This record gives sequence, C-alpha cells and structure tokens, in this order.
Amino acid sequence: MNITLKSYKKNAVQLTIIVGCGKLGAAIANQISETGGEVLILDKDKQSFRRLSPFFGGLSVIGDALDLDKLKEIQIQKATTLLIVTNDDNVNYMVAQLARNMFSIRHVIARVLDKDKESIFTSEGILTFCPVSLSQERIQQLLVMKVPASSEAGDVEYDGE
Amino acid sequence: MKKSIVIIGGHTKAMILAKSILKKGYNVIVINESYEDCISISEIPGISVVQGDGARPYVLADANIWDADMAIALTPNDEDNLMICQLCKHKFSISKTVAIVSDPKKVEFFYALGVDRAVCTISTVASIIEQQAFVTDITNIIPIGGGNIQILELRIDGYSPVIDKQLWEIELPTEAIVGCILRGDTALVPRGNSRITMGDTLVLIVGQQQEASAIKTLTGR
Repeated sequence: MNITLKSYKKNAVQLTIIVGCGKLGAAIANQISETGGEVLILDKDKQSFRRLSPFFGGLSVIGDALDLDKLKEIQIQKATTLLIVTNDDNVNYMVAQLARNMFSIRHVIARVLDKDKESIFTSEGILTFCPVSLSQERIQQLLVMKVPASSEAGDVEYDGE
Repeated sequence: MKKSIVIIGGHTKAMILAKSILKKGYNVIVINESYEDCISISEIPGISVVQGDGARPYVLADANIWDADMAIALTPNDEDNLMICQLCKHKFSISKTVAIVSDPKKVEFFYALGVDRAVCTISTVASIIEQQAFVTDITNIIPIGGGNIQILELRIDGYSPVIDKQLWEIELPTEAIVGCILRGDTALVPRGNSRITMGDTLVLIVGQQQEASAIKTLTGR
C-alpha cells in the first residue's frame, strides 16, 4: 500500500498594501515593485498615482480607506503587511485599527505626525514611525559631525552643482 | 465635587448639549476649532471654552481636562472622534467617553476599541423612517446595545386598542416589556394589573425584531 503524504504548506504570498500615495507611499510602492514584491496602493485621489514609477508593476486603486466596502473590495485581509501613510494621523489610526480588528492583519505600520499621539498607536501593537523624531535623530548626528577642514578659514569648497 | 464634562467639536450640537448639561449642574468644558463657535459658546456663563483641534494632545492639555468625568466627541468625522476618545481615556484619565458615529457599520468597532458609548445618528434617523414615526406618536427612539434593543416612548391616543386594558391582558411579543407608564406628571412602575388610560405614554423596551409588532399591538398602527 502506497500512502502519499501531502504537506500543505501555507501559501503565504507576501502582499504589501499601502494606504496613501503621497511622496512616501509612492516611493515605498516603487521600491517594493522594483524588487519584485507584490504591492497594492490605495488613495482617494487619482492624481496621486502619477507619483508612481512608469515601471510600477503593482495595483493602484482609487478609494477611501475608511470605507469598509472598499477595504473588502481590495481584499485587504490578504495583506501580509499594511503600511498606512496618509497625511492625517487620525485616519491612519482608524485604518490601522480597522485592519487589526476587522481584518486580522497583524503586521501594521503607520506614520504618526504628532509625536504626542504615538502612544495611542503603539499601546495597541501598531508599529509606528514619526518623521519629526527620525529627522531629529538625524539632525543630532549631523550637528556633531566633524566638517572636513578647508585650506583657509572662510574658504568653502562646493562640490559640483 | 462637581462633575466635569468635556465636549469636543460640534458647532450647534455642542452649544445645545453644553447648555443642557450645565443646567443639570455639571462643569462644562468646550473645545472647538471654530473661532466663531467658540465666541458664541463663551457667551453662555459658566462654560470654559478653548479654541483648537480637540484631537491634538496639547489642546486637551491646555483645556485642563485631566480626570474629567466624561468626554463627548461631536465632530463630523468618525476618525477624529475615535482619536479624541482614545486620547481622553488613555492620556487624560477620563473614564467615560462618548462619540457620535456617522457610519453605522463602525458602531460595534468603536465599542470594541473601548469607547463607552457610540451614538449613530444615521441609524436613529433610519429607524424613525422605517417605523414611520411621523405617522404614529413615537418619540425619543433610543437605540441601546448597538441597536439591538430599543427604548421607545409610545403615546396612547384615542385610537389605541389597549385603552382601559390591564397589562396582563395585552398580548405583547416576548421581547417587549412596558418599562414605565408616564401619566401626566407621574411615572408609574407597571404591574400586571396596571390599567392603560388614554393620554398615557408608555416607555417600551423591545428587541429590534419585535418592535413593529409591539407597536401595532399597543397603538393599532
């Protein structure tokens, strides 16, 4: 008797869904597409998709991320990662919570512009990044960076353009 | 110590609510983004008014809302109301948060996130239209428990089939009870032998499915 054992490997296709096709959303979408990843980007404004690369191989969908019907339409539950980068913290928070609560998405990243709101996100397991904090850290590095000495004091050399 | 209630957002609703809460003896703090609305509301004596976006922590801090007893978010945007409630509860230790919600599909979601009370104005209006409240004397439809249970006030007029009947004689559906009988200025606790008279207002507590049938039994419509 020949018994064939089949192993059912979970078909985990990595799909990143990005909410918000601003400068950052578009940049990440382009990056993921370029490296061969599956990506879907959602934005209310059709014009925002002009920021996408001409070689963008993902899906772009016009819609409101707060509209539950639209989220069901794009099958948001299939996302392995959700990146939320609209310009409104409150929208980002609501979409993040809808994703976790109603669609069981675990890997949720949201931009938080107001640092004072960050704890509301993180206390619920939403991963966050705060542009002002990140810029602050970078500026700190730049502030203590040693500038290469020029031949004479006051003589500054400019590179190219 | 006087209890404090914070009202965030809402234009005319905020003003009406603020006045009524003040009359009940509470401290009222109003936070509103519109300068004009703030000016009008500040004309009501006894209300503290702070102009600003109530979803920004620094504005809530300026308004000194720590440990207030209740926060009510009345902005037209569900996402703003949600953030306001979360900030009030988790950053400012306000134990009871209330939000109006425009999207009925999000009411349960608000409750799941810890908002104490989510009032969906659209659902209420939809219920009223469904029940044709403008034909019958149904006032004050209050949905509770996410809309599964309703509390209605039903006025018993001359056409009602239950006039002069005792409660035990009336065949109400299983999920309906008469919680209270308002007669003139008095509120009566109904018993089986309570007799319904013309002019009574019955406070009916009923499950959503049984509403229409209960209303028909009591009013004939």
